[in-house]
Amino acid sequence: MKRMSSIADRLSWPGGGGGNARRWHAVARVVSLALFILALAPVFAWAQEPERDSIPTDVRVGILYQPVFRPGIVMPAIAVEAEFQELADSVRAIVLRDLDYSDRLQVMRVGEDVPLGGPVNYGLWDQLGAVWLLLGGIEGTPEAPVLRLSLHDVVYSLLQDVRAFELPPLGHADLRHAIHLAADEVVDWATTSTGIAATKIAYVAEGPGGSEIYVVDSDGFRAQRLSNDGSIALSPAWSPSGDRLAYMSYQNGDPAIYELSLNPGGSTLLVDLPGLDLTPAYSPDGSRLAFGATVDGRTEIFTYNLIDGCCPERMTYARYANSLSPTFSPDGSRIAFNSDRLGQLHIFVQPLPDGSAELLTPYIYDRSVHNAGPDWSPTADRITFHGWVAGVPQVFTVAPSGRGLRQLTQTGRNEDPSWAPDGRHIVFASTRNGYTGLWILDVESGRIRRLVRGLGTRLPDWSGRIDSASHLTNEAAAGSNNIN
Amino acid sequence: MTRTWKKSTGWLGAVALAMVIAACGGGTPEVEPAPEPEPEVVDTSAEDAERAAREAEARRLREEEEARRRAEAERRRVMSILAERVHFDFDKSDIRADAEEVLQRKVTVLREYPGVALRIEGHCDERGSNEYNLALGQRRAEAVRRYLASYGVQTSRFSTISYGEERPLVNAQNEDAWGQNRRAQFDVTNPGRLGAGN
Repeated sequence: MKRMSSIADRLSWPGGGGGNARRWHAVARVVSLALFILALAPVFAWAQEPERDSIPTDVRVGILYQPVFRPGIVMPAIAVEAEFQELADSVRAIVLRDLDYSDRLQVMRVGEDVPLGGPVNYGLWDQLGAVWLLLGGIEGTPEAPVLRLSLHDVVYSLLQDVRAFELPPLGHADLRHAIHLAADEVVDWATTSTGIAATKIAYVAEGPGGSEIYVVDSDGFRAQRLSNDGSIALSPAWSPSGDRLAYMSYQNGDPAIYELSLNPGGSTLLVDLPGLDLTPAYSPDGSRLAFGATVDGRTEIFTYNLIDGCCPERMTYARYANSLSPTFSPDGSRIAFNSDRLGQLHIFVQPLPDGSAELLTPYIYDRSVHNAGPDWSPTADRITFHGWVAGVPQVFTVAPSGRGLRQLTQTGRNEDPSWAPDGRHIVFASTRNGYTGLWILDVESGRIRRLVRGLGTRLPDWSGRIDSASHLTNEAAAGSNNIN
Repeated sequence: MTRTWKKSTGWLGAVALAMVIAACGGGTPEVEPAPEPEPEVVDTSAEDAERAAREAEARRLREEEEARRRAEAERRRVMSILAERVHFDFDKSDIRADAEEVLQRKVTVLREYPGVALRIEGHCDERGSNEYNLALGQRRAEAVRRYLASYGVQTSRFSTISYGEERPLVNAQNEDAWGQNRRAQFDVTNPGRLGAGN
């Protein structure tokens, strides 16, 4: 019954690699009745496929998601000696979750009983509906295990790629990150796109003296507090290298920009101009920091030279108005930022160092417009922000030219979006199911999942790809455990 | 006779001194005690003087206490005027008419006590974006500072800080709570002579 009938066969996928017939298989958890319907109407099946917290239930006019084809991938259990069993199970669980969260592959729970000895039986996997087959093996010693992953193209009956990944031993703080890196590699092999598993999200949540900075893995595991200021900490922003965070803190009374190092941890003062210093953002090359600071009682945007540790330079000139929340374009030549200079709160784009600011979001006469929190996609083509719809913030994206404005959310308050390095996922703060929490949205399919939940969780910032697990070494992990 | 007179002058002197102190204190409407000359009692005069001194001391303490109480009342009056919050309209940093009344009272007090320095905190309701509210709170604090300065109070007597929406006064989601949370509040950073004893 698990097998899809041949009605779904002989479907050719545009751009799917050679127009070869590919087979669709429903996931194991779909009930048999649904299977029957799927068999009759396979196209319908793709559209309704996301089962968890999916947006499609609240799709209305103005929020459009495309039904997205995700090629099926299957990863049988890793057959290992007893001493590696626990490690093998964690590896498989983590990799499968990462593949699923990439939203580019359909993880299929089939073939649990398929014998794995001998050469790969492509015909069998093809019949089960898989497009990709991921086989794992673990070698080496329990102290220095090596994970071997091989990805097979079932449709073409060939080995796509294979690689050995050195892993830290079971129980080591870096193990999850090492597995995330391997999972991203698989996503790259199968789709030639950037994976997002080996990334982290920094955010603000309640702390003893107000709020503190936290980080969590992209799969929602290992949430930990990083700052220990006992005051108000806000607006974390990742350095491009992923080993540091700039943020705003009231730890010495006067709000200033500080930097948190993930290894070995600890907070150091970065910039403190007179008055308020807020909303830091690193330039993509890491050489400059853009931030807001007080000028004559209002807020203007400055840049600061991080290499020489000097020279705040003012970037915006809007008398009687605030300019803040800068975000760099991926080439570092422009910033998008937030300003109330037109009497409404809008997003502007401005070339650096001395271009003129241009309005990005539509000016609506006589309306309470409140667009804020811009974040420029690392893949350059979109800027996300939140804007009010009937007084409630919702997440939007727009091209840097101002074209193609698109609303992505509409349930609850949805604020402060931040792009993943793949330019396809967005993390944002939301009250969609009654709690405050952070949620991740795939802007193409509309699939959505909760990342963390908790009092006052907000202002998320998604890191770039974090290449080395050693950024969070044992000392750092131990240090933050002490804080907790 | 001269001796007795001298003694009684001494006694009278003590009474007079006490009265002067009492008068200086400007306090209780105490009827001056009629001087009852007791010419022949030489032995008790030392005792009397002592008693008088004690009474004078007690009176002085009373007066002091009274003065302290009055100063305290004054201090409390001044502090409550200084602590009065002002409120703002949504997404605005303009000084409203009701806020102007409050600030005028502050101007009077600040002129009266030139040593007093204030920290002005700008706050917002929770509806706007977290980050924008920090900037808005700063503008509110600054608007208040400007207003006070425009009445001749030195700007250097004020410092400003914004807490955005991070320190709400009322934790609720309704118009009333929001209205109360959109505020500037005041912290006396230097009490001037209000703090220096009496």
